[in-house]
Amino acid sequence: MHRTFIKVFKSPLYVFIAVIISLVVLFGALLLPNISLLINVISNSAISTLDLLKLIFNLLGSLKTNFTFVSATYTVLISILFGINTAIIVYYIRDYKSKLEKTGVTTSTFGIIAGAFGIGCASCGSLILTSFLSLLGIGGSLAFLPFGGQEFGFLGVILLTVSTYMLLKKLNKPNVCIALRNFLLSRYSNNELSLFN
Amino acid sequence: MENSNEKTNNIMLPVAVIIAGLIIGGAVIFTNNDSVVTEDNQPKEQVVENNSLDKVREVTSEDHIKGNPDAPIKIVEYSDFECPFCKSFHATMNQIMDEYGESGQVAWVYRQFPLEQLHPVKAVAEAVASECAAELGGNDGFWKFADRLFELTPSNNRTDIETVIPQIVKEIGLDEVAFNECLNSGKYNEHISADIQNAAETGGRGTPWSILISPDGNKYPINGGQPYSAVKQLIDLSLKEIK
Repeated sequence: MHRTFIKVFKSPLYVFIAVIISLVVLFGALLLPNISLLINVISNSAISTLDLLKLIFNLLGSLKTNFTFVSATYTVLISILFGINTAIIVYYIRDYKSKLEKTGVTTSTFGIIAGAFGIGCASCGSLILTSFLSLLGIGGSLAFLPFGGQEFGFLGVILLTVSTYMLLKKLNKPNVCIALRNFLLSRYSNNELSLFN
Repeated sequence: MENSNEKTNNIMLPVAVIIAGLIIGGAVIFTNNDSVVTEDNQPKEQVVENNSLDKVREVTSEDHIKGNPDAPIKIVEYSDFECPFCKSFHATMNQIMDEYGESGQVAWVYRQFPLEQLHPVKAVAEAVASECAAELGGNDGFWKFADRLFELTPSNNRTDIETVIPQIVKEIGLDEVAFNECLNSGKYNEHISADIQNAAETGGRGTPWSILISPDGNKYPINGGQPYSAVKQLIDLSLKEIK
Protein backbone atom coordinates (compact mmCIF):
# COMPACT_ATOMS: atom_id res chain seq x y z
CA MET A 1 0.00 0.00 0.00
CA HIS A 2 2.72 2.46 0.94
CA ARG A 3 4.47 1.74 -2.37
CA THR A 4 1.39 2.95 -4.23
CA PHE A 5 1.30 6.01 -2.01
CA ILE A 6 4.95 6.75 -2.82
CA LYS A 7 4.27 6.07 -6.51
CA VAL A 8 1.53 8.72 -6.57
CA PHE A 9 3.42 11.32 -4.57
CA LYS A 10 6.74 10.78 -6.33
CA SER A 11 5.34 13.14 -8.91
CA PRO A 12 5.65 16.81 -7.83
CA LEU A 13 2.31 17.53 -9.53
CA TYR A 14 0.37 15.39 -7.04
CA VAL A 15 2.33 16.73 -4.07
CA PHE A 16 1.45 20.22 -5.34
CA ILE A 17 -2.25 19.32 -5.70
CA ALA A 18 -2.35 17.78 -2.20
CA VAL A 19 -0.59 20.76 -0.60
CA ILE A 20 -2.72 23.36 -2.39
CA ILE A 21 -6.02 21.60 -1.63
CA SER A 22 -4.98 21.05 2.02
CA LEU A 23 -4.09 24.73 2.42
CA VAL A 24 -7.30 25.89 0.72
CA VAL A 25 -9.39 23.72 3.04
CA LEU A 26 -7.44 24.74 6.16
CA PHE A 27 -7.47 28.46 5.29
CA GLY A 28 -11.17 28.17 4.48
CA ALA A 29 -11.86 26.63 7.91
CA LEU A 30 -9.89 29.37 9.64
CA LEU A 31 -11.19 32.30 7.63
CA LEU A 32 -14.84 31.30 7.14
CA PRO A 33 -15.92 32.55 10.59
CA ASN A 34 -14.61 35.99 9.65
CA ILE A 35 -15.74 36.14 6.05
CA SER A 36 -17.96 39.15 6.90
CA LEU A 37 -14.95 40.97 8.34
CA LEU A 38 -12.91 40.23 5.22
CA ILE A 39 -15.75 41.42 2.97
CA ASN A 40 -15.97 44.66 4.98
CA VAL A 41 -12.22 45.17 4.73
CA ILE A 42 -12.15 44.41 0.99
CA SER A 43 -14.99 46.85 0.37
CA ASN A 44 -13.09 49.63 2.18
CA SER A 45 -11.02 51.25 -0.56
CA ALA A 46 -8.78 52.96 2.02
CA ILE A 47 -7.36 49.58 3.05
CA SER A 48 -4.54 48.35 0.83
CA THR A 49 -4.14 44.84 -0.53
CA LEU A 50 -1.00 44.44 1.55
CA ASP A 51 -2.97 45.26 4.72
CA LEU A 52 -5.66 42.80 3.65
CA LEU A 53 -3.03 40.07 3.20
CA LYS A 54 -1.55 40.92 6.61
CA LEU A 55 -5.01 40.67 8.17
CA ILE A 56 -5.60 37.27 6.53
CA PHE A 57 -2.24 36.10 7.89
CA ASN A 58 -3.12 37.41 11.37
CA LEU A 59 -6.54 35.73 11.31
CA LEU A 60 -4.84 32.38 10.59
CA GLY A 61 -3.57 32.63 14.16
CA SER A 62 -7.11 31.78 15.25
CA LEU A 63 -6.09 28.11 14.99
CA LYS A 64 -4.47 28.73 18.38
CA THR A 65 -6.98 31.12 19.93
CA ASN A 66 -10.32 30.01 18.53
CA PHE A 67 -9.96 26.23 18.44
CA THR A 68 -9.60 23.68 21.18
CA PHE A 69 -6.69 21.25 20.93
CA VAL A 70 -9.06 18.50 19.73
CA SER A 71 -10.87 20.63 17.13
CA ALA A 72 -7.58 22.11 15.87
CA THR A 73 -6.21 18.58 15.50
CA TYR A 74 -9.11 17.20 13.48
CA THR A 75 -9.39 20.36 11.38
CA VAL A 76 -5.73 20.04 10.36
CA LEU A 77 -6.15 16.27 9.80
CA ILE A 78 -9.26 16.74 7.65
CA SER A 79 -7.45 19.38 5.58
CA ILE A 80 -4.44 17.12 4.98
CA LEU A 81 -6.58 14.05 4.21
CA PHE A 82 -8.80 16.13 1.93
CA GLY A 83 -5.70 17.19 -0.03
CA ILE A 84 -4.25 13.66 -0.21
CA ASN A 85 -7.63 12.21 -1.18
CA THR A 86 -8.15 14.74 -3.95
CA ALA A 87 -4.62 14.22 -5.32
CA ILE A 88 -5.13 10.44 -5.45
CA ILE A 89 -8.50 10.86 -7.18
CA VAL A 90 -6.91 13.16 -9.77
CA TYR A 91 -4.07 10.64 -10.25
CA TYR A 92 -6.57 7.86 -10.65
CA ILE A 93 -8.71 9.66 -13.20
CA ARG A 94 -5.88 11.40 -15.05
CA ASP A 95 -3.10 8.84 -15.18
CA TYR A 96 -5.00 5.64 -14.76
CA LYS A 97 -7.59 6.42 -17.44
CA SER A 98 -9.92 4.41 -15.34
CA LYS A 99 -13.23 4.62 -13.57
CA LEU A 100 -13.53 4.54 -9.84
CA GLU A 101 -15.30 1.62 -8.30
CA LYS A 102 -18.50 2.24 -6.43
CA THR A 103 -17.05 1.64 -2.96
CA GLY A 104 -14.20 4.08 -3.51
CA VAL A 105 -16.49 6.78 -4.86
CA THR A 106 -19.09 6.31 -2.14
CA THR A 107 -16.52 6.51 0.63
CA SER A 108 -14.92 9.54 -0.99
CA THR A 109 -18.35 11.15 -1.28
CA PHE A 110 -19.18 10.61 2.39
CA GLY A 111 -15.64 11.49 3.42
CA ILE A 112 -15.70 14.81 1.58
CA ILE A 113 -19.18 15.70 2.86
CA ALA A 114 -18.53 14.64 6.46
CA GLY A 115 -15.20 16.45 6.33
CA ALA A 116 -16.92 19.61 5.11
CA PHE A 117 -19.45 19.35 7.95
CA GLY A 118 -16.81 18.68 10.57
CA ILE A 119 -14.62 21.61 9.62
CA GLY A 120 -15.27 24.89 11.28
CA CYS A 121 -14.65 27.37 13.98
CA ALA A 122 -14.58 25.68 17.34
CA SER A 123 -15.96 28.70 19.10
CA CYS A 124 -19.03 26.91 20.35
CA GLY A 125 -19.48 24.36 17.56
CA SER A 126 -18.86 23.42 13.95
CA LEU A 127 -19.48 26.46 11.75
CA ILE A 128 -21.01 24.73 8.76
CA LEU A 129 -23.06 22.29 10.76
CA THR A 130 -24.30 25.02 13.10
CA SER A 131 -25.26 27.15 10.11
CA PHE A 132 -27.30 24.39 8.56
CA LEU A 133 -29.00 23.33 11.75
CA SER A 134 -29.81 26.97 12.51
CA LEU A 135 -31.29 27.21 9.03
CA LEU A 136 -33.58 24.38 10.03
CA GLY A 137 -34.29 26.13 13.33
CA ILE A 138 -32.63 23.41 15.40
CA GLY A 139 -29.23 25.02 15.98
CA GLY A 140 -29.39 24.26 19.69
CA SER A 141 -29.70 20.54 19.07
CA LEU A 142 -25.90 20.32 18.81
CA ALA A 143 -25.71 20.98 22.53
CA PHE A 144 -27.34 17.59 23.09
CA LEU A 145 -24.59 15.71 21.25
CA PRO A 146 -21.91 14.41 23.64
CA PHE A 147 -19.15 16.35 21.84
CA GLY A 148 -21.29 19.31 20.72
CA GLY A 149 -21.06 18.49 17.00
CA GLN A 150 -17.38 17.59 16.99
CA GLU A 151 -18.56 14.07 16.17
CA PHE A 152 -18.74 15.17 12.52
CA GLY A 153 -15.08 16.17 12.65
CA PHE A 154 -14.11 12.71 13.95
CA LEU A 155 -16.36 11.10 11.32
CA GLY A 156 -14.73 13.20 8.59
CA VAL A 157 -11.25 12.05 9.65
CA ILE A 158 -12.33 8.38 9.72
CA LEU A 159 -14.15 8.46 6.37
CA LEU A 160 -11.38 10.35 4.61
CA THR A 161 -8.81 7.87 5.98
CA VAL A 162 -10.92 4.90 4.83
CA SER A 163 -11.48 6.60 1.48
CA THR A 164 -7.73 7.19 0.98
CA TYR A 165 -7.01 3.57 1.96
CA MET A 166 -9.62 2.23 -0.47
CA LEU A 167 -8.38 4.41 -3.32
CA LEU A 168 -4.81 3.22 -2.72
CA LYS A 169 -6.04 -0.36 -2.56
CA LYS A 170 -7.86 0.12 -5.83
CA LEU A 171 -4.72 1.53 -7.40
CA ASN A 172 -2.95 -1.67 -6.42
CA LYS A 173 -5.24 -3.59 -8.76
CA PRO A 174 -4.36 -2.68 -12.32
CA ASN A 175 -7.42 -2.15 -14.46
CA VAL A 176 -6.08 -4.34 -17.25
CA CYS A 177 -6.32 -7.36 -14.95
CA ILE A 178 -9.94 -6.58 -14.19
CA ALA A 179 -10.62 -6.36 -17.91
CA LEU A 180 -8.85 -9.67 -18.47
CA ARG A 181 -10.72 -11.26 -15.57
CA ASN A 182 -14.04 -9.99 -16.98
CA PHE A 183 -13.10 -11.30 -20.39
CA LEU A 184 -12.20 -14.70 -18.97
CA LEU A 185 -15.37 -14.80 -16.89
CA SER A 186 -17.42 -14.21 -20.02
CA ARG A 187 -15.81 -17.30 -21.57
CA TYR A 188 -15.35 -19.63 -18.61
CA SER A 189 -17.23 -20.38 -15.42
CA ASN A 190 -15.85 -19.48 -11.98
CA ASN A 191 -15.07 -23.15 -11.35
CA GLU A 192 -13.07 -23.43 -14.53
CA LEU A 193 -11.20 -20.26 -13.73
CA SER A 194 -10.32 -21.49 -10.26
CA LEU A 195 -8.30 -24.28 -11.90
CA PHE A 196 -5.81 -21.60 -13.02
CA ASN A 197 -5.20 -20.48 -9.42
CA MET B 1 -25.33 -2.92 -16.71
CA GLU B 2 -21.67 -2.38 -15.84
CA ASN B 3 -21.62 0.67 -18.10
CA SER B 4 -24.53 2.24 -16.29
CA ASN B 5 -22.77 1.56 -12.95
CA GLU B 6 -19.63 3.19 -14.26
CA LYS B 7 -21.65 6.18 -15.43
CA THR B 8 -23.25 6.51 -11.99
CA ASN B 9 -19.86 6.26 -10.34
CA ASN B 10 -18.37 8.86 -12.64
CA ILE B 11 -21.20 11.25 -11.85
CA MET B 12 -21.00 10.66 -8.09
CA LEU B 13 -17.58 12.22 -7.60
CA PRO B 14 -18.33 15.58 -9.22
CA VAL B 15 -21.68 15.51 -7.42
CA ALA B 16 -19.85 14.95 -4.11
CA VAL B 17 -17.54 17.87 -4.84
CA ILE B 18 -20.53 20.06 -5.80
CA ILE B 19 -22.41 19.05 -2.63
CA ALA B 20 -19.36 19.82 -0.48
CA GLY B 21 -19.02 23.14 -2.33
CA LEU B 22 -22.70 23.92 -1.78
CA ILE B 23 -22.38 23.07 1.91
CA ILE B 24 -19.41 25.39 2.31
CA GLY B 25 -20.95 28.09 0.08
CA GLY B 26 -24.26 27.82 1.92
CA ALA B 27 -22.46 28.24 5.22
CA VAL B 28 -20.64 31.32 3.92
CA ILE B 29 -23.91 32.89 2.79
CA PHE B 30 -25.69 31.89 5.96
CA THR B 31 -22.84 33.26 8.08
CA ASN B 32 -23.64 36.69 6.68
CA ASN B 33 -27.34 36.33 7.33
CA ASP B 34 -29.26 38.03 10.03
CA SER B 35 -30.68 35.95 12.82
CA VAL B 36 -32.59 36.72 15.92
CA VAL B 37 -32.55 35.20 19.38
CA THR B 38 -35.89 34.75 21.06
CA GLU B 39 -36.86 34.63 24.71
CA ASP B 40 -35.71 31.02 25.01
CA ASN B 41 -32.31 32.04 23.62
CA GLN B 42 -32.83 30.08 20.40
CA PRO B 43 -31.40 31.59 17.25
CA LYS B 44 -34.11 31.84 14.60
CA GLU B 45 -33.76 32.60 10.93
CA GLN B 46 -34.81 36.05 9.82
CA VAL B 47 -34.94 37.97 6.54
CA VAL B 48 -31.46 38.70 5.18
CA GLU B 49 -30.44 42.31 5.60
CA ASN B 50 -27.16 43.76 4.47
CA ASN B 51 -26.39 46.25 7.18
CA SER B 52 -27.04 44.18 10.28
CA LEU B 53 -23.95 45.67 11.93
CA ASP B 54 -25.66 49.07 11.91
CA LYS B 55 -28.15 47.63 14.35
CA VAL B 56 -25.55 47.66 17.11
CA ARG B 57 -27.11 49.58 20.00
CA GLU B 58 -25.56 52.97 20.56
CA VAL B 59 -22.90 53.06 23.27
CA THR B 60 -24.17 55.06 26.23
CA SER B 61 -23.19 55.72 29.84
CA GLU B 62 -25.43 52.75 30.74
CA ASP B 63 -22.87 50.43 29.13
CA HIS B 64 -19.93 48.78 30.87
CA ILE B 65 -17.00 50.66 29.35
CA LYS B 66 -13.29 50.16 29.95
CA GLY B 67 -11.20 53.09 28.77
CA ASN B 68 -12.21 56.48 27.43
CA PRO B 69 -15.99 56.51 26.74
CA ASP B 70 -15.36 59.09 24.00
CA ALA B 71 -12.57 57.09 22.37
CA PRO B 72 -12.50 57.28 18.57
CA ILE B 73 -12.50 53.49 18.37
CA LYS B 74 -15.02 51.41 20.24
CA ILE B 75 -15.00 47.62 20.46
CA VAL B 76 -18.41 46.32 21.50
CA GLU B 77 -18.10 42.76 22.72
CA TYR B 78 -21.03 40.39 23.31
CA SER B 79 -19.74 37.72 25.66
CA ASP B 80 -20.58 34.67 27.76
CA PHE B 81 -18.74 34.11 31.06
CA GLU B 82 -18.80 30.32 30.53
CA CYS B 83 -17.40 30.33 26.99
CA PRO B 84 -13.71 29.31 26.89
CA PHE B 85 -13.03 31.49 23.85
CA CYS B 86 -14.53 34.50 25.64
CA LYS B 87 -12.10 33.82 28.47
CA SER B 88 -9.11 33.91 26.12
CA PHE B 89 -10.52 36.90 24.21
CA HIS B 90 -11.02 38.74 27.52
CA ALA B 91 -7.27 38.42 28.12
CA THR B 92 -6.62 39.60 24.55
CA MET B 93 -8.83 42.64 25.08
CA ASN B 94 -7.12 43.47 28.37
CA GLN B 95 -3.82 43.38 26.46
CA ILE B 96 -5.34 45.70 23.83
CA MET B 97 -6.48 48.10 26.56
CA ASP B 98 -3.00 48.07 28.12
CA GLU B 99 -1.69 49.33 24.80
CA TYR B 100 -4.46 51.65 23.58
CA GLY B 101 -6.52 52.36 26.71
CA GLU B 102 -4.34 54.89 28.50
CA SER B 103 -3.96 57.07 25.42
CA GLY B 104 -7.76 57.13 25.15
CA GLN B 105 -7.75 55.68 21.63
CA VAL B 106 -9.87 52.61 22.33
CA ALA B 107 -12.94 51.95 24.48
CA TRP B 108 -14.02 48.39 25.27
CA VAL B 109 -17.74 47.92 25.76
CA TYR B 110 -18.95 44.70 27.38
CA ARG B 111 -22.44 43.35 26.66
CA GLN B 112 -24.10 40.13 27.73
CA PHE B 113 -24.56 37.17 25.37
CA PRO B 114 -24.97 34.11 27.64
CA LEU B 115 -25.60 30.98 25.55
CA GLU B 116 -28.22 29.28 27.68
CA GLN B 117 -28.32 26.10 25.60
CA LEU B 118 -24.58 25.51 25.75
CA HIS B 119 -24.10 26.72 29.32
CA PRO B 120 -27.47 26.30 31.06
CA VAL B 121 -28.22 28.23 34.27
CA LYS B 122 -24.63 29.26 35.02
CA ALA B 123 -23.99 31.62 32.09
CA VAL B 124 -27.16 33.63 32.77
CA ALA B 125 -26.55 33.58 36.57
CA GLU B 126 -23.06 34.98 36.02
CA ALA B 127 -24.37 37.63 33.64
CA VAL B 128 -26.92 38.71 36.28
CA ALA B 129 -24.21 38.69 38.97
CA SER B 130 -21.99 40.95 36.86
CA GLU B 131 -24.88 43.41 36.41
CA CYS B 132 -25.41 43.39 40.19
CA ALA B 133 -21.69 44.03 40.66
CA ALA B 134 -22.06 47.05 38.36
CA GLU B 135 -25.08 48.30 40.30
CA LEU B 136 -23.30 48.09 43.65
CA GLY B 137 -19.72 48.82 42.61
CA GLY B 138 -20.18 51.04 39.57
CA ASN B 139 -18.25 50.62 36.32
CA ASP B 140 -15.09 49.66 38.22
CA GLY B 141 -17.06 47.09 40.20
CA PHE B 142 -18.27 45.50 36.98
CA TRP B 143 -14.79 45.22 35.46
CA LYS B 144 -13.22 43.92 38.66
CA PHE B 145 -15.97 41.29 38.87
CA ALA B 146 -15.70 40.34 35.18
CA ASP B 147 -11.87 40.14 35.21
CA ARG B 148 -11.87 37.99 38.34
CA LEU B 149 -14.71 35.75 37.14
CA PHE B 150 -12.94 34.99 33.86
CA GLU B 151 -9.77 34.36 35.87
CA LEU B 152 -11.46 31.85 38.17
CA THR B 153 -13.93 30.14 35.87
CA PRO B 154 -12.84 26.88 34.21
CA SER B 155 -15.46 27.58 31.43
CA ASN B 156 -17.85 25.17 29.70
CA ASN B 157 -20.37 25.29 32.54
CA ARG B 158 -17.96 23.81 35.06
CA THR B 159 -17.86 26.81 37.41
CA ASP B 160 -19.07 26.29 40.95
CA ILE B 161 -21.06 29.52 40.98
CA GLU B 162 -22.26 28.99 44.56
CA THR B 163 -18.65 29.33 45.73
CA VAL B 164 -16.98 31.53 43.13
CA ILE B 165 -19.51 34.40 42.95
CA PRO B 166 -19.66 35.02 46.75
CA GLN B 167 -15.84 34.78 46.86
CA ILE B 168 -15.47 37.53 44.23
CA VAL B 169 -18.16 39.69 45.87
CA LYS B 170 -16.18 39.51 49.13
CA GLU B 171 -12.84 40.13 47.37
CA ILE B 172 -13.97 43.28 45.60
CA GLY B 173 -15.76 44.57 48.69
CA LEU B 174 -19.41 44.62 47.60
CA ASP B 175 -22.28 44.61 50.09
CA GLU B 176 -23.11 40.89 50.23
CA VAL B 177 -26.69 41.30 51.45
CA ALA B 178 -27.54 43.87 48.81
CA PHE B 179 -25.81 41.71 46.19
CA ASN B 180 -27.91 38.67 47.06
CA GLU B 181 -31.08 40.75 47.01
CA CYS B 182 -30.13 42.02 43.58
CA LEU B 183 -29.38 38.47 42.36
CA ASN B 184 -32.80 37.23 43.42
CA SER B 185 -34.76 40.25 42.23
CA GLY B 186 -34.73 39.31 38.54
CA LYS B 187 -34.43 43.00 37.64
CA TYR B 188 -31.68 42.44 35.06
CA ASN B 189 -33.39 39.66 33.11
CA GLU B 190 -34.87 42.09 30.63
CA HIS B 191 -31.58 43.96 30.20
CA ILE B 192 -29.72 40.71 29.48
CA SER B 193 -32.41 39.61 27.00
CA ALA B 194 -32.04 42.98 25.25
CA ASP B 195 -28.28 42.45 24.96
CA ILE B 196 -28.80 38.93 23.57
CA GLN B 197 -31.35 40.26 21.12
CA ASN B 198 -28.99 43.01 19.97
CA ALA B 199 -26.11 40.55 19.57
CA ALA B 200 -28.28 38.40 17.31
CA GLU B 201 -29.63 41.36 15.35
CA THR B 202 -26.09 42.44 14.53
CA GLY B 203 -25.25 38.94 13.25
CA GLY B 204 -23.81 37.32 16.37
CA ARG B 205 -24.34 33.56 16.34
CA GLY B 206 -21.67 32.47 18.78
CA THR B 207 -19.43 33.97 21.40
CA PRO B 208 -17.40 36.05 21.67
CA TRP B 209 -18.97 38.32 19.07
CA SER B 210 -17.45 41.78 18.74
CA ILE B 211 -17.92 44.81 16.55
CA LEU B 212 -15.16 47.34 16.08
CA ILE B 213 -16.53 50.82 15.36
CA SER B 214 -13.95 53.02 13.66
CA PRO B 215 -13.69 56.85 13.90
CA ASP B 216 -15.51 57.16 10.54
CA GLY B 217 -18.25 54.86 11.73
CA ASN B 218 -17.07 51.83 9.74
CA LYS B 219 -18.01 48.63 11.51
CA TYR B 220 -15.87 45.49 11.48
CA PRO B 221 -17.30 42.24 12.86
CA ILE B 222 -14.90 40.06 14.84
CA ASN B 223 -16.25 36.54 15.18
CA GLY B 224 -14.76 34.34 17.89
CA GLY B 225 -11.64 34.67 19.97
CA GLN B 226 -9.38 36.12 17.30
CA PRO B 227 -5.68 36.62 18.04
CA TYR B 228 -4.23 39.83 19.49
CA SER B 229 -2.35 40.55 16.24
CA ALA B 230 -5.58 40.59 14.20
CA VAL B 231 -7.42 42.90 16.63
CA LYS B 232 -4.39 45.17 16.89
CA GLN B 233 -4.14 45.41 13.10
CA LEU B 234 -7.81 46.37 12.79
CA ILE B 235 -7.29 49.09 15.42
CA ASP B 236 -4.19 50.41 13.65
CA LEU B 237 -6.05 50.47 10.31
CA SER B 238 -8.95 52.33 11.93
CA LEU B 239 -6.61 54.84 13.59
CA LYS B 240 -5.44 55.85 10.11
CA GLU B 241 -8.91 57.35 9.60
CA ILE B 242 -8.05 60.09 12.12
CA LYS B 243 -6.52 63.01 10.26
